[in-house]
Amino acid sequence: MEKVTFTIDGRQVSVAKGTTVLQAAIEHGIQIPYYCYHPGLGVDGSCRVCLVKIEKMPKLQVSCSVVATEGMVVDTRSPEVVEARAGVFEFLLINHPLDCPVCDKGGECPLQDFSYAFGRKESRMEFPRRTFDGEGVRADVDFGPTLMLNRNRCIMCTRCARFMRDVAGDEQIGIIDRGYGSEIATFREEGVHSVLSGNLMDVCPVGAITTRDYRFKSRPWDNPNAVDTICTGCEKGCNITVWIKAKPEWAKGSQLARITPRYNADVNQYWMCDIGRFGYHWVEGAERLSAPLVRKADGALEATTWDAALKALADRLGRADWGGVRFALSAHASHEEMFALGRLAMALVGDAAQSSIGVGWNVSAKPQAGATRFTVPDVDAPNVGGARAFGLVEGERPTPTVASLRAEVEAGRVKALYVLDPGPAGAIGDLSWAVAARKDGRLPLLIAQGPVATDVTRAADIVLPGCAWVEKDASYANMQGRLQAASQGILPPGDARDDWRILADVAAALGVPLGYDSAHEVRQAIAATLGSEPAVAGIAALEFRRPAPAATWLQASNPMERLKWDFLFQDVLPLKFENTRDPGHRAGEKT
Amino acid sequence: MRLPEPVLTPHVKKPHGHTLEHYLQTGGYQALRKALALTPDQVIEQVKQSGLRGRGGAGFPTGMKWGFVPKDSPKPKYLCVNADESEPGTFKDHVLMERNPHLLFEGCVIACRSIGAKVAYIYIRGEFYHVQRVLEAELEKARAAGYVGKNILGSGVDCDIWVHRGAGAYEAGEESALLESLEGKRAQPRLRPPFPAVVGLYGCPTIINNVETICNVPVIFDRGAEWFASIGPEKNTGPKLYCISGHVARPGVYETSMDVTLRELIYDYAGGIPGGRALKAVIPGGSSVNVLTPEALDAQASFDGLVKAGSMLGSAAIMVMDETTDMVWAATNLIHFYKHESCGKCTPCREGSDWMHKVLQKILRGEGSMRDIDLLLGIANNIGGKTLCPFGDAEIAPVVGMLQHFRGEFEHYVREGRSLVPLAPWRAREPAGAHAH
Ligand SMILES: Cc1cc2nc3c(=O)[nH]c(=O)nc-3n(C[C@H](O)[C@H](O)[C@H](O)COP(=O)(O)O)c2cc1C
Ligand code: SF4
Ligand code: SF4
Ligand code: FES
Repeated sequence: MEKVTFTIDGRQVSVAKGTTVLQAAIEHGIQIPYYCYHPGLGVDGSCRVCLVKIEKMPKLQVSCSVVATEGMVVDTRSPEVVEARAGVFEFLLINHPLDCPVCDKGGECPLQDFSYAFGRKESRMEFPRRTFDGEGVRADVDFGPTLMLNRNRCIMCTRCARFMRDVAGDEQIGIIDRGYGSEIATFREEGVHSVLSGNLMDVCPVGAITTRDYRFKSRPWDNPNAVDTICTGCEKGCNITVWIKAKPEWAKGSQLARITPRYNADVNQYWMCDIGRFGYHWVEGAERLSAPLVRKADGALEATTWDAALKALADRLGRADWGGVRFALSAHASHEEMFALGRLAMALVGDAAQSSIGVGWNVSAKPQAGATRFTVPDVDAPNVGGARAFGLVEGERPTPTVASLRAEVEAGRVKALYVLDPGPAGAIGDLSWAVAARKDGRLPLLIAQGPVATDVTRAADIVLPGCAWVEKDASYANMQGRLQAASQGILPPGDARDDWRILADVAAALGVPLGYDSAHEVRQAIAATLGSEPAVAGIAALEFRRPAPAATWLQASNPMERLKWDFLFQDVLPLKFENTRDPGHRAGEKT
Repeated sequence: MRLPEPVLTPHVKKPHGHTLEHYLQTGGYQALRKALALTPDQVIEQVKQSGLRGRGGAGFPTGMKWGFVPKDSPKPKYLCVNADESEPGTFKDHVLMERNPHLLFEGCVIACRSIGAKVAYIYIRGEFYHVQRVLEAELEKARAAGYVGKNILGSGVDCDIWVHRGAGAYEAGEESALLESLEGKRAQPRLRPPFPAVVGLYGCPTIINNVETICNVPVIFDRGAEWFASIGPEKNTGPKLYCISGHVARPGVYETSMDVTLRELIYDYAGGIPGGRALKAVIPGGSSVNVLTPEALDAQASFDGLVKAGSMLGSAAIMVMDETTDMVWAATNLIHFYKHESCGKCTPCREGSDWMHKVLQKILRGEGSMRDIDLLLGIANNIGGKTLCPFGDAEIAPVVGMLQHFRGEFEHYVREGRSLVPLAPWRAREPAGAHAH
């Protein structure tokens, strides 16, 4: 790669040819504020806060729009720059409501942070501020089913409009009126209706666009832990950060604060869809199972201990019936779970193990514009790739295996159906036929493993509570065949167990132990058996994250932004304006 | 040499002066024949030799601009005629379009051929319904007569012309905003580079020229580049239209050459200031340039002459203000225009124009303080040179000029709460500040 070397603030920096001065500064931890630029949305040149002085150029330049050239000399801290930049910040704030104490962005707001670092100490504005829809939080108006809009806070960076135009490919956001009266708007105030709408909150550098889901819910400093993981909503496998509350007792015990996308150049860039972002509430919902259940003689399901449940299972599943056991497996199951289930099937069914497992998932078309640059796939399960690698699925659709399973059950040829459904409810596809068969007795035994109560668990004889995806370390292969790690962020409720372990426990209770003591050992076994499959290659060395405290809790949606957080929160001395007037005192330097 | 007779506007007062028949009777479309006999490069060379500079405001050499179009680009190329004419005090282009449309069409065809364009768009300002009607009617005739369209005059050259009326925005006259508007988007400027000559309309190489600039092109081929270059002072050649307005006896459009001085324009051409009142200030280039005081009256009203005098020729709109003018009110009125027309894309202009307007209104109401005067300069300083397009510099130029030259009037407002000059009768009847919008 061709490089250019140039100087910023007396520092030599080398960057790839074609890099802008702003990108180079961000990469090298040199502070230049920016709003309209976003690495995923490109350059707009409209906010004008990224001003720098470049030698041999008469006027100050916006660094986002200047490509670095060999030998260029850039100054971001000369009095001229500091003063001009402070001037732009003054403009940005003269009409801003400064309602930070009630604004959801407070604490992670680039307007707050950059203004503090680069803005003037006081405002010279004495006139009433511009208001659009009212004052204070009353100015929050509906912006579609997922979002709220507060136009008073908007700084007109147009990131939102450009996101919809360039990424969603669906220009729902526009600007009406012009000049001082410009406002962000949608046609007939219909708001944003997009499966990508949540990203607008991420790109908005102020609290103008907020999500209803996170509204008034918490402050970033109330979520000191966040875990970098992946979304398992569909086969895309977006890289995400799950934010965890420090004080769940303040929120009726719930620990999950929100989910934001995490930059991965090859998978999801800076974005994620709303299904993954907002669809996490089931994890801490009322339907969660926290103890094993066994159906008693009077027909009622009763909570019990693992020992009792496993013993009941062993009692009900006599060795003679093993050959008649069949498995319904959700494509939400991880590699570890699929592999352990496969081992269990081999122990019970023997050579016909592979055909004893039917894999189910849902397929749904998402309403997206044809021009979108971020396609949410139709397959609503994270690990069809894994099922394929393990030889459990051949085509693109779940139908064939599930259909033959169903035929067998309905014909009364199945002794026991073992359902492994790691949630969310319904994700395994239609199993009403199994419920019906159990009720009318054609299916003598129904065993359900999974984290949530469903029609299947309600009809089951034995229910084994598993984990939701954020409660376990597990691996998946996305639609690209890319192996990815989903890391544990929170503990499962009550007695719920990691799903691979449940399978191992079941096997042990039946007297055919699988021989694994940890998920890592399962992964080693996968590597040993299937190591050459691209979907699992490297699985034994997969690294899992842990919720990371303080230092990195401000994990914004991409590394460039994150870098910004990292250096802004190191208590930098504000580059205050008057410092520059004091000879011998360069702004921002410790004295 | 002073322009001996009008060449752009000789027939504008005749009732049928704008028709194709009249144009042909008076030697129209002959320049086109001459230009078609040359190669495109020769045409550009002639335009360079003539010394023609753009009449849209910046005075950029036209031949040089045409030369920027990449010859090897496989993309279509476009000519856009900037007929947005929204600069306050400017009213010359619509005279050319309404009263001499074929001169513009002839210029378009010559320009298109030389840059390799097959299509020209005339982007006219939103309010110009009547101009649109005239242009389209005459265009139809020119097409039927074979001066515009396919295989022009049997030369094998194709060039069609389309008239597009904008939605009425001053900023749409800024060349890149014009392109956006023509593409059907908001009239907001683009970031440059790339410049339109390389990436312009629909991403294709595009030349944008003012109406008057293009109207000068046939003149070059009619009378010869040498003749053209001999008119007016060196580097400021050719016929020039001036729009004189304000406190003059005969406001209007005057055609002469750029060796003329401001004094001649105001006192000879426009008949001086009525009632024998004294001149107070002149804005010589449309509202977007610095204001001049009577000391500058002998400055040459040329691109270079007015820069030397501390201002700019701009759109050659000479706005004359006599001693009865309240400069604070004038400044407020101008900034109101800019506040209203700011496209809102970039921060300093969007926020600063309104703020300056509010501060000026406050002074005008008699509620200002001395600090407000410095604040105005401070805000202007934070806008100047920091905006995305030249609008920012344009909006502060007249206000800063007025503050520099007439600070005493602003201070008088602050101290006394009223104007230094007696209020014009129509303002005296209104409550303070009512006309400052
Ligand atoms: C805010 C703004 C408004 C402008 N309005 C006009 C206009 O109405 N007509 C015009 O010809 N040029 C206008 N210009 C200048 C154009 O951007 C451009 O320079 C000009 O059309 C080039 O033509 P020329 O080379 O023939 O002068 C404007 C520029 C700015 C910054
Ligand atoms: S709503 Fe947010 S993202 Fe959209 S223009 Fe305003 S500040 Fe920018
Ligand atoms: S200076 Fe900025 S806001 Fe003003 S017209 Fe130009 S781009 Fe628009
Ligand atoms: S980031 Fe450079 S102008 Fe907005």
